[in-house]
Amino acid sequence: MSAQLQEGSVTTIYGKRWSVEMADLSRTLDRLAVAIIFIAITAAFHLHYVLTVGDWDFWVDWKDRQYWVTLAPIILIFFPAAVQNVLWSNFRLPIGGTLCVAALTIGVWISRTFGFELWSYFPLSLVWPATMIAGGLILDAVLLLTGNWFFTAVIGGMAFGLVFYPVNWPIMAPYRLPMEIMNSLVSVGDYIGYAYTRTATPEYLRFIERGTLRTFGGHSAVVSAFFSGFVCILTYMVWWWIGGALSRVVTIPNRLKFAMGMPEEKVVRAEQQA
Amino acid sequence: MSRVALSLLSLLAALLFTEVASAHGERNQEPFLRMRSAHFFDVTWSKTKLAVNEEIVVEGKFRLFKDWPVNLPKPNVVFLGNGTPGPVFARVESWINGQPAIQSMALKRDRDYTFKTVLKARIPGRHHVHPMLNVDGAGPLLGPGDWVEVSGRAADFKLPVTTLDGTHIENLEHWATGRVKAWHAIWLVIALAWLGYWIRRPLLIPRYVALREGNEKALVSHTDLAVGAGLIVVVVALVVGGFVYTEAEYPRTIPLQGGRAVVEATPKSDAPVTVIVDRATYDVPGRSMKIAATITNGGQHSIQFGEFATSNLRFINRAVPAAVAHVDPRYPKELLPRNGLKVADTTPLAPGETRKVELEMTDAAWETERLTSLINDPDNRVGGLLFCYDDRDERLVANVSGSIVPVFMDVASAQMRMTH
Repeated sequence: MSAQLQEGSVTTIYGKRWSVEMADLSRTLDRLAVAIIFIAITAAFHLHYVLTVGDWDFWVDWKDRQYWVTLAPIILIFFPAAVQNVLWSNFRLPIGGTLCVAALTIGVWISRTFGFELWSYFPLSLVWPATMIAGGLILDAVLLLTGNWFFTAVIGGMAFGLVFYPVNWPIMAPYRLPMEIMNSLVSVGDYIGYAYTRTATPEYLRFIERGTLRTFGGHSAVVSAFFSGFVCILTYMVWWWIGGALSRVVTIPNRLKFAMGMPEEKVVRAEQQA
Repeated sequence: MSRVALSLLSLLAALLFTEVASAHGERNQEPFLRMRSAHFFDVTWSKTKLAVNEEIVVEGKFRLFKDWPVNLPKPNVVFLGNGTPGPVFARVESWINGQPAIQSMALKRDRDYTFKTVLKARIPGRHHVHPMLNVDGAGPLLGPGDWVEVSGRAADFKLPVTTLDGTHIENLEHWATGRVKAWHAIWLVIALAWLGYWIRRPLLIPRYVALREGNEKALVSHTDLAVGAGLIVVVVALVVGGFVYTEAEYPRTIPLQGGRAVVEATPKSDAPVTVIVDRATYDVPGRSMKIAATITNGGQHSIQFGEFATSNLRFINRAVPAAVAHVDPRYPKELLPRNGLKVADTTPLAPGETRKVELEMTDAAWETERLTSLINDPDNRVGGLLFCYDDRDERLVANVSGSIVPVFMDVASAQMRMTH
């Protein structure tokens, strides 16, 4: 079914008749809103990302099989969940997840290119960002197909955590080749991190693969991904609710007017008129 | 009008007379940190002018001070870094006591270590190069710095390596970055296609109105559902396919290596010189540090006091030829205070002898190196190394540490003024 049918000066959009002028105006508003929302999400989500995931995504020698895999998806799902609620509940648009991760992807590429490569001389082989778009697409598709936030949390949230490592493996594998430096075994990623000096980020600051999370044939990424998926389910639910709460328009009665002696009916009427 | 003229003049002055800050703020570190943590000595830079792709070796020794500040964590996790303006050099190798220092390690206080760092020039410019120890919780501890000029083009830099599976990487700068961009582009194209599929329709107000009027079926069609199902299939296929293909392409990979190295300290000298600080003062207007100490020569040969080193400053006693001979002519001049070390009694200290000795270091370097802010420190103690030379010109290194008292004025002169 076509979204828009035009007959003379009147057009039908989603089954409702609009004047062509108003439809055009609405479309202009759409274009402005899309541009503003995209820029706002890029900035806000990128800020959130660098402050929380931070070093785990900045550097090739921090992207480990345990903390990066666990932490990144759990933190990344905040914005998609909240924005999905706003766009789905009010507009039936299943694009909140993809919109957020696409905006973040553009934001991190701007940051890595201008801030890390051109300004600070770090090569891209050290500072390439992870991709998280697959998880956003799955979240949106699940929400569209189920039409239900709970199933999106359970199926989409779990998938969001599970796909993070495998979707990044084709990018990361060449940086996990083994090599020998100074009679020591290191990965190519370790050596890149060692060679390109980060004066204030010494080796010991790396928080990688601690503890004994080694099962499933010694590959801790599997355990980490499932754990991340479980937490993503819960996190999704919380942030879906926060997205709804933040997008609700609420008014607070002006108590000052009562205090100044204005009758209650007058205050309520004035606020209703406003 | 005059305000505008003044503002323009200030701006012009700032543009004309401001220098680029290229060092590392080493003078801004608190004196207790510089005087009583890591003392670097015998530091050399193999060259001070080189082209892109050429290597420089920075090597020397350091002692982790015995009187380590109580408000700093102990050096249980230490990394040998290099104090440079970011990655203007690529660190090719680093060693502590002959052991690879690619990872962090635990070191001991009151022990000496040798270090060696090989750096490959990458970005042209004039760079201040220091050896540096990063201590977990204490931050970077900088050794002495020297200016190194790098010429050539940054674009010519190459860092080739060969992996254990025989893959030769021509340049780590660009290794696999085409792959990074390609995969990001693939996912971004799919994401933008999905967004475009929805955004091309009337978007906000019409959809909001339709939803409020209960016309939800007009907003999400069967085609949309089919596209959504297809999207999941494409995404899952791409994720699984990419993973399986990559596993086949790179069958031998290893996880990140995050262990700790183990390095033994240099054996201690069996002929120690002990220094007990009786009283140390810093004369603020005179820029003079005086240390009255009781020194015992526990060795078999008589000794002279050739150098006092603290905070990378070397106060040389020019009356001791062996001490002068130990100064590399290429050593940064700003780290060798002109007035050097003065010792009241120049008679050599005989084996087994204990004597009260007065050491005096008077120089503007205390001010220029911002060490006089010592009097603002919560842990107000002076620290340094005293280099003694025996009659065979062999060197013995002793710790010097003790409380320090500031002298703000000449008490006798002040009393005279009050009398008059």
